[in-house]
Amino acid sequence: MTWLTPQSYANDVETELTAVFIGRFASYVEWPASEHRHFVITVLGENLFDAKLDQLYHNKQIKDKPVKVRYAATLNQVARSDILFINLQTASDRLSAIHFARQHSMLSISTARGFADNGGIIQLNIVEQKAQIKINHTAALDSGLKIAAPLLSIATVLRKKQP
Amino acid sequence: MAMLNRLAIRYKLIILLGLSGGFALLISSLIMVSSMYLTQSKSSMQVLHQLTDVISENMQAALAFNDASSASKILASLHANPHILLAIVTNNNGQILSQYQPNFLQAERAQIHKQALEQILKERTPQQPDQLLEHIQPDWMGVVKPVFFEGQAIGTLTLLSDTQIMWDEFRKFVLMQILASALTVALLLFLSLKFQAIFTQPILNLISSMRTVAQTKNYRTVLESDHKDEFKHLYEVFNSMLVDIQERDDRLFKLATTDALTGLANRHHAMELMNTIINRAQRTQHPFGLIMVDLDFFKTINDTYGHQTGDLVLQETAKVLHDSAREYDLVARMGGEEFLIVCDDAPLQTCIVIAERIQQNLANHEIEYAPGCKLNVTASIGVYSSAQNPAETSITAMLSAADAAMYQAKSAGRNTYCVA
Repeated sequence: MTWLTPQSYANDVETELTAVFIGRFASYVEWPASEHRHFVITVLGENLFDAKLDQLYHNKQIKDKPVKVRYAATLNQVARSDILFINLQTASDRLSAIHFARQHSMLSISTARGFADNGGIIQLNIVEQKAQIKINHTAALDSGLKIAAPLLSIATVLRKKQP
Repeated sequence: MAMLNRLAIRYKLIILLGLSGGFALLISSLIMVSSMYLTQSKSSMQVLHQLTDVISENMQAALAFNDASSASKILASLHANPHILLAIVTNNNGQILSQYQPNFLQAERAQIHKQALEQILKERTPQQPDQLLEHIQPDWMGVVKPVFFEGQAIGTLTLLSDTQIMWDEFRKFVLMQILASALTVALLLFLSLKFQAIFTQPILNLISSMRTVAQTKNYRTVLESDHKDEFKHLYEVFNSMLVDIQERDDRLFKLATTDALTGLANRHHAMELMNTIINRAQRTQHPFGLIMVDLDFFKTINDTYGHQTGDLVLQETAKVLHDSAREYDLVARMGGEEFLIVCDDAPLQTCIVIAERIQQNLANHEIEYAPGCKLNVTASIGVYSSAQNPAETSITAMLSAADAAMYQAKSAGRNTYCVA
């Protein structure tokens, strides 16, 4: 299995679109019930967004909760989160992060190629400012997450093969 | 209007009923057709709204992630609806994310629709979740619906469809309306033809009766009517008028045929009746007689007792003559103190019996011209019998003969009779 290095974003617009889409995914995902007061988005690895995420979700609410954006350089630094945006350089690190996210019912998102095929839930690629979404539905169900049909309808969906 | 005046009442009624019904039908049809157009256009627009709602719901995710490919797939499902002319999805920057245009639609036509749509959007742009734009033209209708994500507009969905279904339904309705109207008008005319008789028949009956009365002069006719409405009143008035005419005729007839003083037939009427009696007698070869009576010394009575007594004498003499003659004899006053009795079916002997009875009754009849003052009158009588003069056919000659016999009785000393 070969992990590909995440491509650099072509321009600021695509980065901004990614930042926007991360929040929009939340509208189509249902998490297990929790009593946490904040909706937490954690960026794991290199922060491509600079301050864009903070600006975008400042004073915003997702799932009727105020949004809190956190940044973690390593997996050890990741606290409880609802969305884990994984921007790690190595495939092994990303796999660890995927396992971690699955154990803690986090929605894992990445722009890395092969992310969904390797157990990540949402792989997001921006091509000419248009989103290409791949969803590993089995991984979402294993994480205790439910993804709404409208999102599934526009995405390439990976499902566990029936025995 | 002049032409209408020349028409018979029955046709006027038919035209009136037909026009009234026709106008009522026309107005109701116009209202129905207008209402149908509004309902149908509203219904078609509602269908387009529902389709827009469904598409926009499906389009939400595609717009949220700027996914043109998914948007195109969703719009491609419109292919199943042959009435959709154009569908466009734009993002919140106004850029077209995807559009659908059926293959059968000519590019030129599609361009026209787009330009019309742009014009509409230029004038108004929906900003609220429940704010829709809709526009209807004779050949197309369109809905512009904003697509919202998390309460924020992320694009718009525009659907344009043709109005073929609406016009098809409308045409069907108008056709049905025309058929229904034609049937109603036919029924109306049929009923008008039937029911006009309710109004015209009594009038026609009345006209017919009036013509009959005018021709027969039978003013004793009584018109019967089963109606309980104004026609009954009309018939009653007409019957009342006939009674008035009959009474007037009776009075005129009496004035024309009767002597006002004595109540006997006057000379003119006597001549007419005498003519009839004599003609019949000659036809049946039955004998008849004329008795001419002239009061004796009547001038002296007038001069002595006055004209009032003279009139009384004439009236009393008339009564005596009437009582002396047979029931079917004609008694008439010919003028002054001269009277005539026409005895139908009477031989000479019968005439003589009547003449003698007159003399006897006059002698027995005292006339009280003042309280306690009485007088008797006598008369000279000339008797003419057809049996004695079979060759005579002229009434004037017969009267002259009776008159001559009467003067002969005068010459013989009065209060007697002579036979012509």
